[in-house]
Amino acid sequence: MSQRDLTAQLRAARTTAPAEVRERVRAIAATDTTARAPRFTWRRALVVALPVAAAVAATIVFTRPSHQATAVRAATTVVGAGVAHGEQRAATGHVFSAHVGTAGIPGSLVSPPSRTRVQRYGASLALRVPTPDGVSTGVKRALRITTSLGGHATSVHASSRSRAAVADLVLKIPRAKVQRAIAELSQLGTISGEKVDVQDLQAGLDATGRTITRLQKQLGELRAQTQTPAVTRRIAALTAQVVGLQRARANTLRTAHFATVRVHLATPAVKAATHQTHRGPFHWLVRALVWLGVGTIYVLVLGLPVAFVGLLMAVIMRAVRRRREDALLSET
Amino acid sequence: MERRRRMDGEMTFTQAAETHLDDVYGYLAWFTGDRCAADDLTGETFERALRLWHRFDPQRGSARTWLCQVARTVALDHFRSEKRRVRREELASTSERVDEHFAEGLSAELESALRVLTAGEREVVALRVVLDLNAGATARILGITPTNCTTRLNRALKKLEEALHVAA
Repeated sequence: MSQRDLTAQLRAARTTAPAEVRERVRAIAATDTTARAPRFTWRRALVVALPVAAAVAATIVFTRPSHQATAVRAATTVVGAGVAHGEQRAATGHVFSAHVGTAGIPGSLVSPPSRTRVQRYGASLALRVPTPDGVSTGVKRALRITTSLGGHATSVHASSRSRAAVADLVLKIPRAKVQRAIAELSQLGTISGEKVDVQDLQAGLDATGRTITRLQKQLGELRAQTQTPAVTRRIAALTAQVVGLQRARANTLRTAHFATVRVHLATPAVKAATHQTHRGPFHWLVRALVWLGVGTIYVLVLGLPVAFVGLLMAVIMRAVRRRREDALLSET
Repeated sequence: MERRRRMDGEMTFTQAAETHLDDVYGYLAWFTGDRCAADDLTGETFERALRLWHRFDPQRGSARTWLCQVARTVALDHFRSEKRRVRREELASTSERVDEHFAEGLSAELESALRVLTAGEREVVALRVVLDLNAGATARILGITPTNCTTRLNRALKKLEEALHVAA
């Protein structure tokens, strides 16, 4: 018998299920009350919805301004408020510093310099001027104010580009008139930032004065002694030390006589351009995508070996199962 | 094929059971070589199929293929339990099915030649020749590649041919 005849005979042979088997299967089928599963199932929906939800959550988390930035902003406002209520830490402490943002009240931070103590006084003023011409005029007026109060400018930088202009001035103004100077300079534009630094130098000067007195007393004693070469050398050394200390003291007093006032004048266009460059509408989206990319790389780096091992295990288990099946079927 | 898939997609379990009962029964009868066992296993197959019917996806294969897959799992479980039982009782299961017929209309020589084949060989003959499934569907049921499936079929037919020669 050829293989073709063989297959033809095998195909011709029909196997029909006995009536009792047919009845049993019909009875089983009769209990079928459920419709076949629809294409939409909760499990399938979850498989799609979970990654989408994770992606949306990640986007929301990363596109939101961070809590840290908010906290810093809040702290700044508190410091400004404290100063506005007349906190006089400069009188007792060594260093006092405060600044406010755009919500600053003109001149609110400018505590009057002490008349009895020597202080190093510094102030910064950021002003918004509507036009580039306003910046130019502001620079001229600032220099005029400085001169009228007996001060001088140590540096002036001004630049303009199309409809934007920026100017930075460093002014030296007599400490006694700094409050008036800041009040007048504030009139040049809208205050967008203000900062005051006060450093008390009186304690240092008092200590230097005491040292000079002590050294001069020692000098008097040495001069009363017999003038040996050793005593003469000692007197020369002490004299040089006293002169050095007196010079330093005079230098400190001269420096403290003037307050340093930095004035920044800018048109709004410059600020708007800066804002758009750094914090555009897509800035946080790009950051979110970057973080998602970083996360994906981590998942790939950590997950791939695990997935590979899992796959290998599955392949091995499948091969073992198939071999067992083959062995079972070849025995039967 | 596409039309058949669409029909399978619209088919209820009752319709699938009615349409493919003989195929499933025939497959199990050939696979086990034991009609009594095939009777029981057919019922068991449809019970299990009813429980798993929600998993059946017509896009991935026909209802007949899916039912044969379920039947194969049931049959393998049966073989395993039989093996354990035979070991325990030290009885030869072959002695119980000497008088069994694989199908109606087969010659006595062919029936005895079929006894020479193993269950694995009978299975591939049943699926490819008797049920006339294509290589892809058969391979899916057996969990092997279509090429491997064709090789198995050729070997089984050759063995059957040799057995017939010896008998002649």
